Amino acid sequence: MRVPFGWLQEFINPGISVEGTAHLLTMSGLEVEALETDGDDVVLVINVTPNRADCLSVLGIARELSVLTGAPLNLPFPPAGAKPPVIKPVPASEIAVEIRNTGLCRRYAGRVIKNTRTGPGPEWMARRLEACGLRPINNIVDVTNYVLLELGHPLHAFDLNTLKGGRIVVDTADNVYQKIKTLDGVERKLPAGALVIADAEGPVALAGIMGGANTEVEDSTRDIFLEAAWFEPRNIRKTARALGLASESSYRFERGADIEIIPAALDRAASLMEELAGGALEGAVDVYPVKYRAPSIEFRADRVNKLLGAEIEEDEMLRILNRLGFAAEKSPGGAISASPPSYRLDVEGEADCVEEVARIHGYDKIPSVLPCSRLSADGAGAREDFIRLVGGVMRKSGYSEAVNYSFMNPRALENLALPPNDFRRSAVVLLNPLKQEESLLRTTVIPSLIENLRHNRERGLKNIRLAETAKVFIRTNEEQLPLEPLKLAGIAIEQRTHSFWRDAAEDFYLAKGAVEALLDELRIKDRHFAPSGEPFLHPGKSADLIAGGRKCGYVGVLSPAAAEKFEIRDKEEITVFELDLDVLLGLLPPPPVYKPVPKFPYIERDLAIVVEGGVKAADVIRYIKNYPSEFIEDAVVFDLYTGEKVPAGKKSMAFNIRYRASGRTLTEDEIEVIHAGLVKDLLTHTGGSLRQ
Amino acid sequence: MGGGDIRESFLNELAPVKTIGDLEQLRVRYLGKKGILTAELKKLGGLPPEERRSAGALLNETKIFVEAELAARKEELKELDLREKFASQAIDVTLPGKYTPPGRTHPIIRVMREATSIFVAMGFSVEEGPEVELDYYNFEALNIPKEHPAREMQDTFYVSPDIVLRTHTSPVQVRVMQRKKPPVKFIAPGKVYRCDADISHTPMFHQIEGFMVADDISFSHLKAVLESFLHRIFSPDVPVRFRPSYFPFTEPSAEVDIGCIFCKGTGCRTCKGTGWIEILGAGMVHPHVLQMVGYDARIYSGFAFGIGMERIAMLKYSIDDIRLFFENDLRFLGQF
Ligand SMILES: [Zn+2]
Repeated sequence: MRVPFGWLQEFINPGISVEGTAHLLTMSGLEVEALETDGDDVVLVINVTPNRADCLSVLGIARELSVLTGAPLNLPFPPAGAKPPVIKPVPASEIAVEIRNTGLCRRYAGRVIKNTRTGPGPEWMARRLEACGLRPINNIVDVTNYVLLELGHPLHAFDLNTLKGGRIVVDTADNVYQKIKTLDGVERKLPAGALVIADAEGPVALAGIMGGANTEVEDSTRDIFLEAAWFEPRNIRKTARALGLASESSYRFERGADIEIIPAALDRAASLMEELAGGALEGAVDVYPVKYRAPSIEFRADRVNKLLGAEIEEDEMLRILNRLGFAAEKSPGGAISASPPSYRLDVEGEADCVEEVARIHGYDKIPSVLPCSRLSADGAGAREDFIRLVGGVMRKSGYSEAVNYSFMNPRALENLALPPNDFRRSAVVLLNPLKQEESLLRTTVIPSLIENLRHNRERGLKNIRLAETAKVFIRTNEEQLPLEPLKLAGIAIEQRTHSFWRDAAEDFYLAKGAVEALLDELRIKDRHFAPSGEPFLHPGKSADLIAGGRKCGYVGVLSPAAAEKFEIRDKEEITVFELDLDVLLGLLPPPPVYKPVPKFPYIERDLAIVVEGGVKAADVIRYIKNYPSEFIEDAVVFDLYTGEKVPAGKKSMAFNIRYRASGRTLTEDEIEVIHAGLVKDLLTHTGGSLRQ
Repeated sequence: MGGGDIRESFLNELAPVKTIGDLEQLRVRYLGKKGILTAELKKLGGLPPEERRSAGALLNETKIFVEAELAARKEELKELDLREKFASQAIDVTLPGKYTPPGRTHPIIRVMREATSIFVAMGFSVEEGPEVELDYYNFEALNIPKEHPAREMQDTFYVSPDIVLRTHTSPVQVRVMQRKKPPVKFIAPGKVYRCDADISHTPMFHQIEGFMVADDISFSHLKAVLESFLHRIFSPDVPVRFRPSYFPFTEPSAEVDIGCIFCKGTGCRTCKGTGWIEILGAGMVHPHVLQMVGYDARIYSGFAFGIGMERIAMLKYSIDDIRLFFENDLRFLGQF
């Protein structure tokens, strides 16, 4: 809401500067977002919250300011309770008003003004309209807009002579009317439930939203029918939304207009028209079947103070409410009984009255007191602790934390070459995405990280490690909420040429190492890696993580084909991984149970074997560990060699095996026998030979 | 050969010795089985008793002297040896250490964790709710029926007519109240979505919802809890003010401002000249919201607040563009 200070001053002399006024309004709930200079005036740009329809006018702001400053209001119309001017009724032969749906239209009133000369409105009025963001049209329409801004009640002017049959019917459009051509020249199909104003032949206005083109006031118009009515807020909003049509009028009706100001608004407009367009007020009509009845709200002063944690005197509460236009008094039972004015439709119950008292009393005057409450040992909770731990482990492995939008480009699913039945194809689709590239919710975090990698590479960064912990969204069916599993995904690219200590390990092993570091930190021991079939990974350099007997993620080198589809042209390998954190959280072992450390020494043997290139180290280690000897404690691989010294297609792997007995010291002799047996059986099992 | 001559010749021979090996040879030469001193000592037996005593005393003195000199020189040479060894083994200690440079914490996650810790220290537990949410929880149960003008305050992403991307973390209030009897006291950090993108809005951002309901919770408690939080996360002397506002699910509602940390209240571009920066929304839980989950609003009252974490992070770290948070540029992340 834009309010020129000069216009405001016609209603009230607040006795303070425009800045002081802005501060007072802001601190009572009408946030002044800006003060804009407009010629020799200043416009207050006020953020009026949706509950305060009564403040969508100069009058409304002046009323509020009067409460805050105590300065009296100067009204351009007789005050409430004063005798309204007597205007003879319009003869029924000229305009007969019928409200067919009194739930949606509780009052419909009008004035007939004849012999006006329609033309440009005066300069001063045009400037005020423009200052408030409205476009001047002609003196008749300008007056309706001027009164709307001034008093807050929407008005509509019809060309009286274009209304057919001397009839005004207010009814919903259902089944009767199909279409209306509105003032903006657009022919619109009437949505179900839309309230229309019709004459004897058809719709002449979309009630409360916009007039019809067929009855528009033009330069040739001589006689005016001026309408002011009260329409039910939800219906107006529903129709406006269905049509995608909003106006100053619908904005006010859907927030709740003041049904009691209707005669004053009509009279103010009629007198301005007489003054500016030279017409004469000929008659009035007022159909008011559902009279306004203010709710009576009962509450106790001590309850208000308990809710606020304040000590406001009961008399002060009464004073505040009465200044706000409520009829508030002590009820015989000792409570306060308050009835809000007709322009405060937002006030429905005790809480509203508490707020009114608090905001006029001043939030700053309410003391700050920390609450006493029951102690709780809940803390952040296991899940939050777990997520923090994961982030910390990833940072130790060099991965910075990324945060991306939850959106996904549908093309990402193609780029990843996911088969049609892959669960990641079950993406949640947004009905109203901001752009096509953000029209799905992520089913995997990888595409976002690839995008981040590209962003960083394009800016000259060489070594990139990013990890993101985030929910992804898997659609189940249309009616239910999707699944929201928590994922940890990472991406890395290493350009080693400019780092001093070059790491000889393949990129794959660096990524796998980061995953293993996490699993070690989490003490998840029941795990192994097996070749992965993820279609977007290098088939020879990717592995699935199997933990607790099920696949919990994967790690691998992004396949060059996928990288190319994501328009990544780096020659270095890009590694990615994605893990199911919910599953890993479920696999966390119970607290450790201490086992005594070994008392007797171990004996170790190294063993190098030459095997076919396809033999997996993990298989050899598993074979050794499962070998039927109670003395084999551990086995690790410590060397891998391919090259001139072994035949083509073969490789040499070296293992360190540790033997130990729990109750005594082993002798070299007995280990010699067991180890020889193991070597022989292992060579048979792998089809390998001892490295010479 | 007398003791004095031996001492002199020993010192002459000791002077040029540069290695432990030469020193050992010198030791053998004087003190070995066939050494000069050993031989002289053997000769003592052939001397008359009166000469033997004085000659013996002199020789023994010489022997102790030689042994001490040898030991001292040995220490010197060992020290020298070690120094030479160290010198030959010296490396360039200014070369970088070998380690994996640790990754960085995203500033949003950083402030989320900090804020969470502050509230946990005050006894709040941490709750979570779905990001794709039923219209019912996001709006209806929060006193925002369909066709309510307040729906315009939040541009909503729709998945279906009844399913939305949550526009705030407030639906968690309702889900927790449905599950727990009062008193309840929790925060709910998480992602929220608005169908809005421009220089100062991103379609996804982060909030922390705070919620506390018991039989005696008042607006003054809300003020104190939020002031404590803001003083911890910014600084103890940052001014905080509450002004009336409107949210359908709280009444009375408040918008909370802090004194502009850039201009210290004198007015600048960030605070649009007002000296104040809007930081969060809060209020007393609307009785309708309590009643809808079966809490007796005549007995229970409470407060709720929603804090935008991007805003906190921007102010805390002087970040001037909200979009930076979602580019994950390592030159940006590397600073946190
Ligand atoms: Zn400032």
